[in-house]
Amino acid sequence: MANRRANFCGSEDHLIHRRGFLGAAAAAGAFAANMGVLNVLRSQPLASELKRQQKHVILLWLAGGSSQLETWDPKPGHENGGPFRAIETNVPGVHISELMPKMAQRMHTTCLIRSLNTRNADHGGGAELMERGRRDEPTVKYPDLGAIVARELGRPDSEVPDYVSMYTTAEGRRKGSAGFLGARYAPMFLDKDLMPANIRRLEQISDLDHQQRGELRQVLGERFARGRGSHSVDSHNSAYKRVRGLMASEKLFDVSLEPQQYRDAYGPTQFGEQVLVARRLIEAGVPFVKVARGWWDSHGQNFETHLELVTELDHVMSTLIDDLEARGLLEHTLIITLGEFGRTPRINPSLGRDHFASAWSCSLTGCGIKGGSVWGKTSPDGMSVVDGEVGAGELFATIFQALGIDHKKDYYLGSRPIPLTNPGTEPIRDVLA
Amino acid sequence: MLRTFQKVLLCAAACGIGAIASVAPAEELLPADRPIPEVVDHYIDAELQKREITPAAQVGDHEVIRRITLDLAGRIPTVAEVQAYVQSSDPNKRVQLVDRLLGLPDFALHQRNVLDQLLAGSDRMENAWREYLLVACQENRPWDVMFREMMLTEESQSSPGALGFLKSRAKDLDRMTGDTSSIFFGVDISCAKCHDHPLVSDWLQDHYFGLQSFFSRTYLTKANFLAESDEGDVKFKTTAGETKSAQLMFLTGTVITEPEAPQRSEEEKKQRKEELAKLDEQKQPHPVPQYSRRAALVDVALRPGERDFFARAAVNRVWHRLFGWGLVNPIDQMHSGNPPLHPELLDWLARDFIEHGYDLKRLIRGLVLSQAYSRSSIWLEGERPDRDLFAVANVKPLTPRQLGVSLDLASRNQATMPEIGADKWQEFIAGRENRAGRFSTWIEVPTDDFQVSVTEALYFSNNAEIVNEFLSTANDRLISQLVGQEDREAGLQMAALNVLSRPLDAEELTLFKNYLAQREDNLTGAWQQVLWAMMTSPEFRFNH
Repeated sequence: MANRRANFCGSEDHLIHRRGFLGAAAAAGAFAANMGVLNVLRSQPLASELKRQQKHVILLWLAGGSSQLETWDPKPGHENGGPFRAIETNVPGVHISELMPKMAQRMHTTCLIRSLNTRNADHGGGAELMERGRRDEPTVKYPDLGAIVARELGRPDSEVPDYVSMYTTAEGRRKGSAGFLGARYAPMFLDKDLMPANIRRLEQISDLDHQQRGELRQVLGERFARGRGSHSVDSHNSAYKRVRGLMASEKLFDVSLEPQQYRDAYGPTQFGEQVLVARRLIEAGVPFVKVARGWWDSHGQNFETHLELVTELDHVMSTLIDDLEARGLLEHTLIITLGEFGRTPRINPSLGRDHFASAWSCSLTGCGIKGGSVWGKTSPDGMSVVDGEVGAGELFATIFQALGIDHKKDYYLGSRPIPLTNPGTEPIRDVLA
Repeated sequence: MLRTFQKVLLCAAACGIGAIASVAPAEELLPADRPIPEVVDHYIDAELQKREITPAAQVGDHEVIRRITLDLAGRIPTVAEVQAYVQSSDPNKRVQLVDRLLGLPDFALHQRNVLDQLLAGSDRMENAWREYLLVACQENRPWDVMFREMMLTEESQSSPGALGFLKSRAKDLDRMTGDTSSIFFGVDISCAKCHDHPLVSDWLQDHYFGLQSFFSRTYLTKANFLAESDEGDVKFKTTAGETKSAQLMFLTGTVITEPEAPQRSEEEKKQRKEELAKLDEQKQPHPVPQYSRRAALVDVALRPGERDFFARAAVNRVWHRLFGWGLVNPIDQMHSGNPPLHPELLDWLARDFIEHGYDLKRLIRGLVLSQAYSRSSIWLEGERPDRDLFAVANVKPLTPRQLGVSLDLASRNQATMPEIGADKWQEFIAGRENRAGRFSTWIEVPTDDFQVSVTEALYFSNNAEIVNEFLSTANDRLISQLVGQEDREAGLQMAALNVLSRPLDAEELTLFKNYLAQREDNLTGAWQQVLWAMMTSPEFRFNH
């Protein structure tokens, strides 16, 4: 009997009341009463205090792998260092690449981890590892960070999506995976434009028809769910219940609704606009937003590439930090800047840097983080970690702890307990607030 | 985690579990000649009586025919099928229904899809694979024969479809080992790769690498043929850091002794390499080895005394598919630490399956004719009994293809369809079935504790395909019939029979009549909304 788990689905205990308008007399009026459109934006000021306490994550995913030497771990003066200088930051003793002058003035909000050794320098495998914090087993598909955060920080009945993933560049387009957590936590995926698929009502159906057929469906759905004791059936009904709210959140994806000063601040680039959308989303209560920026895979012309991309990253990330801070959201929002790996310290004959997973960097900003801290150290040539080596597991444990999620918490796959991070994994406590 | 671990060990010690697959002595089981449905009900009811649980009532005709048709034909029943069944007063009508459905081309198509999902999952497969499965299902080929074909078919110029299972995994030894073990033997032993299994004292690293050894010589050639070498061994590092050479070991612990691998001189090795390279150039398969480890696996896995893993895994999977929950759960954890609640039933069914030549159709037929299968899924009073008691039916989410084909039928003017069973029917249903493949973009494949995604709800709510195809006013669609209906009530009942395979009750009729009454301005639109509401209800989305 050891593996037989109790059935906890007390669905009978919270049966949904049958709709009032089922009775003949009540029918016509009840439709009218139910017509208020759920509007996430409208509810914002009301829920502001609650929302502020809710924690969020914005993941800036540097797809293809950014160079640690041109960002967080410069090696000026060394032949591996490249042409760019290191500059001082507003945290004494911490230097970063001169390509990030704006972040240098905001170093007090951010911690740097300079000692990642993740051992996988292949795009697919590396991305999978850094998305999930560990490698899949043949028969266990792990959920990615977004799915776990959606599950831990999202509300089951949320009217906004709880995991949004934006990826519009063609390079290595990755869908994200809820793994064993199931489709409820799969990302709303935006790969073509800034608007999610099927979020707009078709023109050929009126809003009233759309609303009313949803009401009819709900009556049938609730009647059917009664006595079935099935989470699957309940999830069907709750997915449909979320539709109108999600459609109302269409506005969240529309940057043209944002005051011009903010659009100007983030800049007219696609990445800037997506990060602005990310801010709009988390402000409305979305727990996890990933924005992927492609083209970091600089096997040739690494320095031109990084001059352009790091300058943009510096600008957009700084704007985001300022914006969140001004809104009182920074202390509840964790910004993770991460890719699948770093780049080789050695410069190749095409003036490029190749894949490198043995000694690279990432940054964490905001929620739960000790700003200005630096963890780990690489050798003068950048080829290896000399102090504080950590892998994907430690990074994920740190992220969970920063968000107030117990990294040792178990999920159950059948009878098998699966902790959020592999047993024995510890967070980097020195960078946690 | 540690606590679970200790509990299992304690249980294992207390129960004295030693053997991996414990099978009760034959004389303690019900006689082999009893019909399957009777045996199912005997064992399931005995456990319920012991616990003083009265099972849920048997469902009515409308629900029976919908449940069975979805499970056997992979689609909802047509209105004509429902009416014929409900109106028949033949006491034997359920048996006739089951036998009729098992004889339809729909059954083979559905069975093929189920096996395809099980064996290939989301892997990209060659057409030959799905064709192989379809022919095998049409012939009701025995499961052991199919296993042998998937493991051992010889390559030829047109690579046989049966090899798809291994070819799609051949580049990943862990997948070949793990998936073969999970799918055919019902055990996921991947934990034992890195350390002795923490939950199952039976499984050591020796078992994992022992099983892996059967596949370690299998590879894909440059010309994309499956091949097996005649040399090479698996070495692994134990948790103690010792390097060990794996033995050829089956899950039962049986070790196979094999002939020595050929000893080749440097010159011979070079020559062999050249020969193989030449075959690759000519797009020819590599030669079959004198001694095949994969053949050794098939041999041992189907041998009396060892074949219980194979038979029990198949029985449990078929049961799980029809009852929405296995006799053992999870279905790939069929080991001593996770015993079934009905051990005799599993043993009896496995024995029957072996004795009747691993006949899947016979097993399916037997299970759907039991009373346990046709219980209601509704439980209103008191705490719902555990799923593994089978006192009340579990609802089962439809697969993307079941849903796609059913949507098509539900929204159709059924007068325009070919007659079921006629030659044109096969073509028609295969076409619907094929077209339903696209649903996998929006609809997730069912799992235990399945959850519906908002992606699906948004798709049904706002995608143009739904309106243009299923809610279209074209003559071959149901809407065209409904719009012409003078009698609203008759129209509503027609829609309900088409979609939900049952008539509406009084409350539902009132609801929809009131809705239509306030939509006189646009009745076509109103009928579309009614149909949409029925097709997106969970009653349609699930088999219940």
